[in-house]
Amino acid sequence: MSDICEETLGVGLLCEGQHDPGTPPAGLRRAPSGVDGLTTEHLIINMGPQHPSTHGVLRMIVEVDGEEIVAAEVSVGYLHRGIEKLAEHRRYDAVGTLMDRGDYVSGMMGELAFALAAEQLMDVEVPRKAHWLRSLASELNRLASHLVWYGTFGLDTGAMGQFLYAMREREALLDILEALSGQRMMFNYIRPGGVVADMPTGLAEKIRTFLSTFDMYLDEYDQLLGGNEIFQARVKGIGVIDRQMALAFGLTGANLRAAGVDFDIRKARPYAAYPELDFEVPLGSTGDAWDRYTVRMAEMRQSARMISQLIDGMPEGEHTAKVPRIIRPKAGEVYASVESSRGETGIHLLSDGTEHPYRMHYRGPSLYAAQALEEILPGHLIADVVMIIGSTDIMLGELDR
Amino acid sequence: MLPATADIERILAGIDGVQIAEEILGTVARVELAFVPDALGALKAAGYESLVDFDGTDTGEAIEITYRLRSYAADREVFVKATVAYGGTIESVWFDYPSALMPERETAELFGIHLAGHPNPKRLLTSDGVEPLLRKDVLIRTVEEVKAR
Repeated sequence: MSDICEETLGVGLLCEGQHDPGTPPAGLRRAPSGVDGLTTEHLIINMGPQHPSTHGVLRMIVEVDGEEIVAAEVSVGYLHRGIEKLAEHRRYDAVGTLMDRGDYVSGMMGELAFALAAEQLMDVEVPRKAHWLRSLASELNRLASHLVWYGTFGLDTGAMGQFLYAMREREALLDILEALSGQRMMFNYIRPGGVVADMPTGLAEKIRTFLSTFDMYLDEYDQLLGGNEIFQARVKGIGVIDRQMALAFGLTGANLRAAGVDFDIRKARPYAAYPELDFEVPLGSTGDAWDRYTVRMAEMRQSARMISQLIDGMPEGEHTAKVPRIIRPKAGEVYASVESSRGETGIHLLSDGTEHPYRMHYRGPSLYAAQALEEILPGHLIADVVMIIGSTDIMLGELDR
Repeated sequence: MLPATADIERILAGIDGVQIAEEILGTVARVELAFVPDALGALKAAGYESLVDFDGTDTGEAIEITYRLRSYAADREVFVKATVAYGGTIESVWFDYPSALMPERETAELFGIHLAGHPNPKRLLTSDGVEPLLRKDVLIRTVEEVKAR
């Protein structure tokens, strides 16, 4: 703004330091809107931590000019349980219970990340069957997690019916996961050395029955939400995270791939049975909320494809290696990453040779997606906030840990 | 993923006291705390465009901080490590790597260190007055409580 005062319609003189609706205040970005020459007082509002569309306990502090966001701050920590500290007091075979409670919608991947990290320091060879069961559990869990995202993302836009359909499919998946692990969500199935139990008799058939209709239902769901013009109008073009911003904010997973970056841990750093599976990595182009939607929908199709291959090709053999009752990995420092439903879940593990981890750092992809919100929300309307949060699929359990 | 040792040696050649090694962890560059912003700036300019993780460890003598950087174009990763004294100060690298904003706040509060040059150096996860939980001298159960179990 110039250092001279300007006469503005309806307001009188606007001088340096005052808010001019035509130009953004220093440090804040504003989208061009119907500027009518009237200055408005900025309002700071809290969204959350009990807001229904914050996917848990996320709190957003947004500064608005009318309905338009000029600045946003993400406030987290409402679900902090000290998982990293607690892990220092758990034995290696019990840390999986903590990982389940991190990203509690896709616990299998958290367990797998920790198991992969611990195994790097253990003198253990994981059987091929355990690798396949781990991939099977992960992909089933990814489907269940993406269905939660699909259902709640629809709710964010005001679509109610498709949430119930998504939950119907998810229930079937949770039944399968319960048959496999004994638990619906807090699995504790993947442990250092392998998995807890082999597939029970009849489960393969149950999964095949599920898959026989899943692709058809998924097409229906895609039509129901993605084919809806109102939904398209609301998500296309909002919350754009381009390649540069995605890399700058350390985004991973579908949020990164929606920006066109071809990086999937399952392909780039293959683990478990993924090197033996045939699947594609769906990519977006512009990185808006619509691209994130299409990438996740395509990921579900790929997961179903992988599950089919995993069931058909499940090898014979042991489901776990022989692991001592009390695991004492050698001293050392390792890092293991897996592609979880939300992006790269990483475990930075330090062992001092005792039965407890010396230090375990849990890298959750949601933390990085949440802090990118501060950058992408300004310029959008309040109604877009919940859409953008929904499109990034953040999980507060792994964000706060 | 390709080993990055030779690449990192070339990039960090102008910075004093850098030690580069291939470990189980991966390619690790140990840098003096004062040179961390320079080292990360050089790595950013060389294509390590994404900071994908940042955390700390209480070694019993000091806090060891670890930056994990990734170059998507070259498919390489490097861990940059530095040591900061208890209660010491680290320079924020948010300008080069905005993804460090929240992890730096978290590490600072959980290890009891200070942030310099951070635009929003508030606590991230815990409330004011909570001890730096990830320090080894902060116990989640007292010795008496453990013995009584």
